[in-house]
Amino acid sequence: MQILSSAVLACALIWSAHLKAEDADSEALLENDRIQIEYVKPGASHLMPVYETMKERKVLERLKQFLSPLKLPVKLKITMHECGTTNAYWGGRASGLSLCYEFFDFAKRIAPKEATPEGYSRDDAITGMFLQVTLHELGHGMFDIYNIPVLGREEDAADQMAGFILSQFGPEVARRTLPGAAYVWQQFNESRGGEWPHWLYSDEHGHDLQRSYNYLCMAYGSDPTTFAYYVDSGLLPKERAVNCKREADQMLNAFQKTMLPHIDAAKMKAVQDKKWLPAVVGL
Amino acid sequence: MIRVFVVAAIMASAASLALSSASGASRITCKDWHIDQDWKLDRIDVEYVEPKDPAYSAIYDDLKQRQILEELQQFLSAVRLPNKVLVKTEQCDQSERPYQPGGPVTICYEYIAKLAALATKIPAGGTTPRGVSREDATIGAVAQAVLHEISLVVFDQQRIPVWGREDDAADKLAGFLMLQFPDDTAHKLMNGAAFFFEASDRTWTGSDFSDVKSTEAQRFYNYLCIAYGKDQKAFGDFVQAGGQQASGGSSNAFRDDLLPQARAARCPREYADFKLGYDTFIKPCLDQQQLEKVITRVDWLKSAP
Repeated sequence: MQILSSAVLACALIWSAHLKAEDADSEALLENDRIQIEYVKPGASHLMPVYETMKERKVLERLKQFLSPLKLPVKLKITMHECGTTNAYWGGRASGLSLCYEFFDFAKRIAPKEATPEGYSRDDAITGMFLQVTLHELGHGMFDIYNIPVLGREEDAADQMAGFILSQFGPEVARRTLPGAAYVWQQFNESRGGEWPHWLYSDEHGHDLQRSYNYLCMAYGSDPTTFAYYVDSGLLPKERAVNCKREADQMLNAFQKTMLPHIDAAKMKAVQDKKWLPAVVGL
Repeated sequence: MIRVFVVAAIMASAASLALSSASGASRITCKDWHIDQDWKLDRIDVEYVEPKDPAYSAIYDDLKQRQILEELQQFLSAVRLPNKVLVKTEQCDQSERPYQPGGPVTICYEYIAKLAALATKIPAGGTTPRGVSREDATIGAVAQAVLHEISLVVFDQQRIPVWGREDDAADKLAGFLMLQFPDDTAHKLMNGAAFFFEASDRTWTGSDFSDVKSTEAQRFYNYLCIAYGKDQKAFGDFVQAGGQQASGGSSNAFRDDLLPQARAARCPREYADFKLGYDTFIKPCLDQQQLEKVITRVDWLKSAP
């Protein structure tokens, strides 16, 4: 529970600004009545604390604020509920985005116990995992709602959407979130014991390790200074690293041409100007 | 023979695409999406570089004699590009030389040699269980390799907004073009393109997965998927029989050379999504008048066996 609170709080800190007086104008700006949020009370008693904490921390309210720059032609529903499985999914325009309480339990189990030598903490890992899954599924939602053509594989494209967004808030946010997105896929791979039968390559999703390396590459490509240690430590092989800047440019090009027309510039600036990440020491 | 098939495939693609564009008048222009530069035709230069290693002389002579690159150049004359690009065949001292922005495009003699070697896994005069002959494998693989590289040039020069990994998108565009062929030829081409990935001996572990390209198995299934996605009847034989996937039995129950049903069910949507991308971003950058000219030359290609 303590860990869960940490995760939620860490997310909350990323998404929300301190509600200082001088921020009041931008707070008012970040409204969007096309986004509908809901916390559905879970049936399973062990998920009740998650539900309570999410509500208390206003996680969805903050997510709504974060997404307020979207010019939406349809309602965007975001629902947090019990799914019966560790998951999150885009259910189409009518159902919208589903975030499962179960995912937090999973994130808690697989998060590292100790901070890494690079100063990457357990809270960061949980935050990064949560944002990865949420923004990935929202990526599917964006492609759907705006009819955005995806020329590559949509699952990779949704990962790119998540990674691209996380790289747009400066080095501090990138440093604390993108490694978690990469980490979650390493952990999935380990939880499978590295087993990957031939037919599974037919899946629309990439191999867990491909997804992990893609996030490492997105991080390095968007900020080679902050993430130089990926290459120095061998986490990201040089052969791939040399291509990452180009891959980041490709994502920027795709985002500018297909997403930017659907984003309110003034609101986006307000979102980007927010101080998203106050110190979270001690969480 | 390879030449004729590849070129016929490309020409047929062009013809079919021109027809489809005539029916649905698109209001989007090339410049709506892409950089505002001077777009011209005939931006492709070609070159056969003589190999240092005499082991590749036969391949060099063969490609030159078949005029593969000149044929490709003809087809690409309908593609408007802002910059010149060189397409060459060369000894690379590695099996592939990945495309970098600005080019050139290099088809390595080593790669062609590898294709030829893999094709010999198929008994002469026979086929694989899926029905791929040696000839299909070679033709499809060459078409795949060339069209994949050209797709990267188009993405690069036209600044196409590619979501997803670029090499997967290039495979999809290559497959999409091959699928514009009449059913029978498209079937052979796709079968052949898929075979090369199916036959690969490479196993992937650990940091191998950092490769910018997808695994051979993924690319194999992606080719089967785009084909089945376009036409479930014509490519019904690319998919496992019903129940195989659902049984959940041992992996022996599956045929690795066919698409599992779970993926197959999603392929029509994947194809439709790609087609939307093609119609939106790529088609507006083809010169329709030039395409017509290219198509009128199909006649002299009908000497295909």
